[in-house]
Formats: sequence, C-alpha cells, structure tokens
Amino acid sequence: MIRLENLTVNLKQFTLSGINLEVKRGEYFIILGPTGAGKTLLLETIAGLRRSDSGSIFIDDIDITRMEPERRKIGFVYQDYALFPHLSVRENIIFGLKCRRAHKIAIVMKLLQLAKLLNIAQLIERRPETLSGGEKQIVSLARALSTDPDVVLLDEPISALDPQQREGVQNELKDICKKLNRTFIHVTHNFEEAIALGDRIAVLSEGRLIQSGTPEEIFRHPNSEFVARFAMTRNIFAGLVTDDGYGGSIFTIDNNKLEVMTELRGQLHASIRPEDILISRDVLISSARNSIKGKITRVDDRGATLYVTVSTTTEFVCLVTRRSYEELGLSEGSEAYITFKASAVHVF
Amino acid sequence: MIKKTIKYLHQRRLTLTFLLIGLVLLLFIFIPLGKMIFSSSPSTLWNTLLDKEVRDSIWLSIYTALIATAFGLFFGVPLAYFLARHSFPGKRLVESLIDVPIVVPHIAAGIALLFVFGKSYLAGKAFDAIGIHFRDAVAGIVIAMIFVSVPFLINSAKQGFEEVDERLEKVARTLGASPWQTFFKISLPLARRSIFGGTVMMWARSISEFGAVLVLTSHPSIASILVYERLEAHGLEYALPVASVLIIITIVIFVALRYFTYRSKKQ
Amino acid sequence: MSMVTNRRILTALIVALLLMPLLNSGCSNTKTPLPVIVAGSFMGPMEDLEARFEELHPDIDVQIEGHGSIQVIRQVTELEKEADVLIVADHSLIPMMMYNTTIAGSDEPYADWYLSFATNSLGLAYTNTSAYAGEINESNWYEILTKPDVAVGIADARIDSCGYRAFMTCQLAESCYDNASIFERLFGDSFTWPITVSVEDGIQTIHVPEILEPKGDKLALRGNSVWLLFLLDSGEIDYAFEYRSVAEQLGYSFLELPPEIDLSSENYSESYGSVRVKMDFQRFGSVQPEFTGEPIIYGVTIPNNAPHPNIAAEFVNFLISAQGQAILAEDDQPPISPARADNPDALPDELKELLQ
Repeated sequence: MIRLENLTVNLKQFTLSGINLEVKRGEYFIILGPTGAGKTLLLETIAGLRRSDSGSIFIDDIDITRMEPERRKIGFVYQDYALFPHLSVRENIIFGLKCRRAHKIAIVMKLLQLAKLLNIAQLIERRPETLSGGEKQIVSLARALSTDPDVVLLDEPISALDPQQREGVQNELKDICKKLNRTFIHVTHNFEEAIALGDRIAVLSEGRLIQSGTPEEIFRHPNSEFVARFAMTRNIFAGLVTDDGYGGSIFTIDNNKLEVMTELRGQLHASIRPEDILISRDVLISSARNSIKGKITRVDDRGATLYVTVSTTTEFVCLVTRRSYEELGLSEGSEAYITFKASAVHVF
Repeated sequence: MIKKTIKYLHQRRLTLTFLLIGLVLLLFIFIPLGKMIFSSSPSTLWNTLLDKEVRDSIWLSIYTALIATAFGLFFGVPLAYFLARHSFPGKRLVESLIDVPIVVPHIAAGIALLFVFGKSYLAGKAFDAIGIHFRDAVAGIVIAMIFVSVPFLINSAKQGFEEVDERLEKVARTLGASPWQTFFKISLPLARRSIFGGTVMMWARSISEFGAVLVLTSHPSIASILVYERLEAHGLEYALPVASVLIIITIVIFVALRYFTYRSKKQ
Repeated sequence: MSMVTNRRILTALIVALLLMPLLNSGCSNTKTPLPVIVAGSFMGPMEDLEARFEELHPDIDVQIEGHGSIQVIRQVTELEKEADVLIVADHSLIPMMMYNTTIAGSDEPYADWYLSFATNSLGLAYTNTSAYAGEINESNWYEILTKPDVAVGIADARIDSCGYRAFMTCQLAESCYDNASIFERLFGDSFTWPITVSVEDGIQTIHVPEILEPKGDKLALRGNSVWLLFLLDSGEIDYAFEYRSVAEQLGYSFLELPPEIDLSSENYSESYGSVRVKMDFQRFGSVQPEFTGEPIIYGVTIPNNAPHPNIAAEFVNFLISAQGQAILAEDDQPPISPARADNPDALPDELKELLQ
C-alpha cells in the first residue's frame, strides 16, 4: 500500500539513490542498514519532512510525493522519542487531533482507546521528563497512532532502550501492528531485531537498497558485505521453543532438538556464534548439552582461521584454528561432531 | 574548631574564590547606584516623584520602551526564527549587521535615523502621508529605541529557537500541524524563556537610551533626556533626584519581573 | 587544524586589543595634559588653536571639552572637574557663577578675573534647501520665519547662551523694525508653558518658564545650538538661530541681521540693554536668573584650582596674542584687540605683563 519508485534525495554529502520499495498493508517492514546508510533520511523523505529530488511516493496508488507532511497521514516515531517536553503525556498524544480540530469527544475516545491498547493509562498525566525510556517509547508510539495514520515510520525505536526493556517493547510493537492491521516501517541496524520483527526486510547501504526479502532469504543469501559478515558470524535459525519437561527449553529446527536456555516460548529465532561451537571427529563427552553429528560441506579458508560448515538437516558454521583443523585431520566431506552448550544459543 | 573551619573553607576553594571575585563586581555596581539614590533625602525624592514633569517623563520612558519592545517582538521574533532555521549565503554577514547597532555611537545612530525618517526623505514622507512624523515626536523616540536595542531581542530569540530540537517540529508536522501551528504550539512555547529574557533586555535598554533619542526627539522628554536637561539648565541637585527616582522605579519593576518568572518556574 | 589556527588568531587579536591602550598611554605619559572646557560655539576655533599651540609646545596635550556656556562653568563649580582654562560665550557668566562661589573646602572663589577676548554675532543659519532660501533677507526674515511651512530651530535658553540671545535679538527686532508684534508672532504660541514679555520703565523682560517645551511642529528646541545643525542638514528645520562664527566655519548659509539687534557691536550696548531675559524659577541659585542684553563677548579665565596654572597662563597668553587673534579672525570669530581684563589686579603675573 506504500510504494517508492526510484526515489532519490541529493544532499551535499550524501545521496539516497533510486530507492524502489513496496510494502503491503499490515506488513511489519524492516529497513536494515549500518549507521550512515541513510535510514533516517529515507524515513524523513517518506514522511515529507525532506524533499526528494526525483522519483515518487505512492500511498494506495495516490502520488503524495509533493504533498505537505501534515496531509500525509503518516505517523513518525523518532529514535529519541521527541516527546514535546512542555506538554503532558496526554497533551502529547492528543496534539495531532487538536491540530486537526477533531471533535472533543472523538479526542477523548481516541485517548482512551490508545491508553487501553498500549497499557499507558497510568502515565497520562505525567510529564515526559519523568518517564523511563521504554515508557517514552510507547507514548511516542501512541502519539503517532493517534491520527490513524496509514503508515507508521519508526526510526530505531528500540536502540536506545536497556536490554531488559527491549524484548518487551519489541513484542508490543509487533503486537500493535498486527492488532490494528497498520503498516509499520521500522528502521534499525540491529540484526536480531530485524529478524525478530520483520515480515520482510530491505537492506540499505550507502544510500542504496541492495536486497529485500524475508529474513531467511536475506540471511541465507546475503548480497552485501554488511549482511554477509553478519550471517557468517552468526548461525541463525528459525524454530519452535517448547518446554523440555525438566524446567528447561527445547529449540526445534527441522529435526534437530537443541537444548537452550530461555524463558521465551513459541516460534522464535536462535543464533550461535561459530566460535562457540566445538568440532571433533568423535563424540565429545562434556557438560555441553548439544551434540550433533554431521558432514563437513564447506570450508572457508581465512588463513589463521577457517570457517567450517557442518551440515545435518541444518547447516552450522564453526570457527577453527588452522592448527586444530590440521591436527584433527578435517576436510571437506569428512564426518564431524559439533558440540555446544545450551547457554551458547541466543534465543530471540 | 578553627581547624575545622579552615578545612571547610579549603575544600570549597573554587566557590570561595568565585564568590570573592564576583563580590568585587557586585560592589562596583551597587555602590555607585546606592550613593546616587541615597544622595537625595527621601523628601526630595518624594517631591521629585510628585513633580508632574518628572512623572510624565518617566511614564513616557516606560511606555515608549514598551511600544518599541512590542515592535521588536513583532518583527524580531519571526526574523530570529528564520535565522535559526535557515542557512543562506551571506548569513554570517547579516547576523553581524544585526549586531552593529549595539556598537554604533548612539548620536551617530540618531543622525542616521534622522536622514531616513526625516521629513525630507522617502521613509519620512511615506509616514508623513499617514500622519506620523518623527522629529520631536513620540514616534521618533520609539524608532531610536528600537534601533539601539532590538539586536538584544533578536539574538536572544534566535538562540532560544536554535535550542528547540527541530525533530519536535518535524514530528508536529507529521501529526498534522501546519507550519504555523507548529510554530505557535511547539517552537514558540519552547523558546519562550529566551524570548522573554531578550524582551526584558530590549525594554531595559530602550528605557536608558539617550543619544539617539536626543537627536530625534528632545521634546517630549523621556527621563534620560530630562535628567540631562535639568543638569544643563539647573544643575546637579536638580537632576540627580530624577535619575534616582527612575532607577528606583526600574529596580522595582525588575524585581517584580524576576519574582513572577521565578514563581512560574517553580510551578 | 584550521579550528586551532582560528582560535589562535582570535586570541592574538584580543590580546592585541587589550594591550593597545597601554601602548597609547605610554606615549601620552610624557606629555602634560591641559584640560580646557569651552563653549560649544567656540569648539571650531579652539581646535585650530589647539593644533597651533601643540606645534609650539609639543610636550603639552590640550584636551578639549565642549558644553553650553553655563554648563562649562558648572563642570568646575558643581561637578568638581579640574580644568585649566574655561572659555564661555557670555563673559558675564564668569563673575556671576565663579567670583562668589568658593572652592569646596577652602575660602577661595573659583575665579576672580577674566579676559574678554572675542566677539560674535547672532543670525540665522540655513541651507540652500531651506524654504524661501532665495528670498530671505535683512528686512523680511521675521515674516518668513512665521510662515506656516517654515520650521525654526532655537537653542534652549535655560542651558545655552545662544538660546536666550536669540530671544533678545527677536525682542530687539521690534524696536528696530518698529513692529510690536514680532516676538509674539514668533514665540507667543510656540511653547506649552508660554513665554511672556513684560515691560517696565522701558525695559522689556522676557520670562522663561521653568519647563520649556515646544508646542507643535514649528519650533525645534535643542539643549545646544550645534544640535540644531543636524536638523538643518536633514531638512527637518529651515532656519536656526546660530552664531555667525559657527555657521561660517561649518559652511552654512548665514543671514546677517542688522547690528542693532544681532548683539555684535559695542556701539549699540545701550539699546541692547533695554532687553532682559529672566528665568522664571527660583530653584537653584547658582545662576542668577536674569540676563541683560549686551554685545556677545567671549570670556576666558583660569580657575583658582587649575591643575597647571603656569601652562594655562601660557595658553591664555597665546590666545590673546597676535597669533591667536589671527586664528580667531580666520575662523570668523572677531577678536577683541587688545583683550580686556576684568579685575586686572587679580590676573596672574604672566598675563599682567602682557596686558601692560
């Protein structure tokens, strides 16, 4: 429902060139890119806060490229929340409606609806400077939603939060997107965030969109160094997390049941650092809970180290020193066992 | 006991040093003011206050300064906002030019204004057509005041606006606020402290203006000119109480202003 | 890199600016200062005298300050400034304000002698853009000044001698032109607190109220006659009552008035004396509130508390010498030759000799 055609923005020292993008209604779309890739610029251009030099922006096939921001029906959540410091939470949230001269009753109803939806009723009369980071984030989102925008743009909404708050907010965001069937375009440099949240991801690097697709597609077949480096330094899987009956958790990918340590349950992702996986020719007896037999299907020689891919029904990339590799007599095609601790699996 | 005191003071060396240095400056300001005010007896000061000519001139000073400040706000705040938000070639030059009236000797400023707003010149003639003239008229006092004091307001307001995060304005736009609504509901309220400070400065500076006003409008006389004329015509004894009364009145006004802004800060 | 260089340049500039006064004062420390306070109308010739005097005495730095004549004396008698030489445009002010006022903390009066050394005349300064500039002459000036489209400037009589002298001239005009309405038509309705003229025993006294505030647009009042010249320049006023020397020195057109009324000539002293100006207020008596019409005579004195009385005497010497008089004549300030002394016994010795 929102489509960018060949969008270009020329700044003195940076250019966004030829961005082509299409996001469906209700989709949670992630734009992933390193710092300086032009993510904020792109969002601001979509919102109409910056002029594009060429190309077009369509919402539901209406060309809004030259439309003023206040008419675009686009919500915006900045990385540092940008709550109006001189207004209370309530006044922040109803600001948009008041500017549009909505009816008093409509305003009150919308406020109640948002308070309920986002669970912020207790914050309504507070002032922004008294809120925690996570609270500010949600209020900022409430404010963006207040005018029933077609699209909500979020600029690194989670990056400034503490790790504890991150998970919670992340889930809320996805939740709201689906509940309201609103289109979310969320920009971040954090891979795990991107994979956890995105229905689809587009990768932005140096002002260009270099890849787009589902999270798996992006990570299986990265075509940018940025993503590849990440994909290579993580093993990322999607799977189901369930109880193991003993108070621990099982992460099931294909036929593999991995023992992991996490409180989360359900369809999730897991990642393991290659350096946390031990490779051996025979079964290793150790305290590590995960031990899998597979075949070496690929070796990436990096000189002092090698990235060895061991495949079962799933591929695991392991990191080995040259010396170990030679001493163990490993080679492509040979059998190997991989071992790693439950705590080495990061579930998200 | 003494040891403790010494230790206490030693640990606060910075504060103490700054306090002492600052005290020197405070005394430098307060002693001359005090001497002046107390050089006249209270009955003299009271009689001076009762003198209609004095009251009229002080009132004239206050309210022409207010008018000047009002113009300053109306024209200066938009200019300040523009400068805070936009870059353009020659911007630094413009900003420097805005500061120039502060540096220009005031009599020269008055003469410069005379040659623009005098009845023989374009601007003067234009205003004459709508019945406003500047020589020896209230309008002359006001433009002299505006000229020498508006840079304070512009600079203060500009700084205030620069300190308003542009993202707040951007968010407001996405929420549906027009540029006007954004300015009045977001930018202006957030900059109001600086604007207020600049306004008070401009008003205060206007009240004390002498040279520029002297050239344009000796009569009706604002307080600063009355002091001068009384000094010249009748001597120190006659002029000093007027200056003292003016100072006392402005001190009262300033204290009141500070008190009210402090209260609103607390809230 | 360039940020650091910028900061260095800025620091150097600031240091240089702060040091500059030290460099300057270093030079002038070797010169003896001679503070001189003069009437505003004498500033022009004073600067020429300063230049020549400093050429002759390179170790002396003449420091000039200008005010209305009454204020010149007040600088010393009330504001307790230290001056070596005082020059006023009305010689009678010196005995009036200094002979009987004692220096603070002593029995000595501020001055006990003065020299009359130059004259002047009062007339109308104007420019070629002034209304009726082409027509105005000795006979019709008072008619032209009363025309509704003519704006006139006059100095404040309470502050500047040029002011009260202008009143005198206009009052004298009545007998000169045999027209008893001149003063009334010029000034009768021009002030919020009106100026009145009373006649007693053939003496016409002009009463100046305590507050002198012009009414309407026609008359511009300024504390110093020199301020009127700005207004002339910008066309705000068409004519200003001004001293001839000032108008000529500064290049304005000048209408000379008949000697019967322009206070220039000793021949008419008696008729000048039929006019007086009285300040109608009792407030502060350092100035006796009544001035009698007399020829304009400039007076010079050395206050008794002058910091450099010897050098002061040298300067006064120079002033009344042939050289000084030549400079005065060049500047359209007719000198009195030889200078006349009031209370010659009180003169300092150096000057006594000269006047013998």
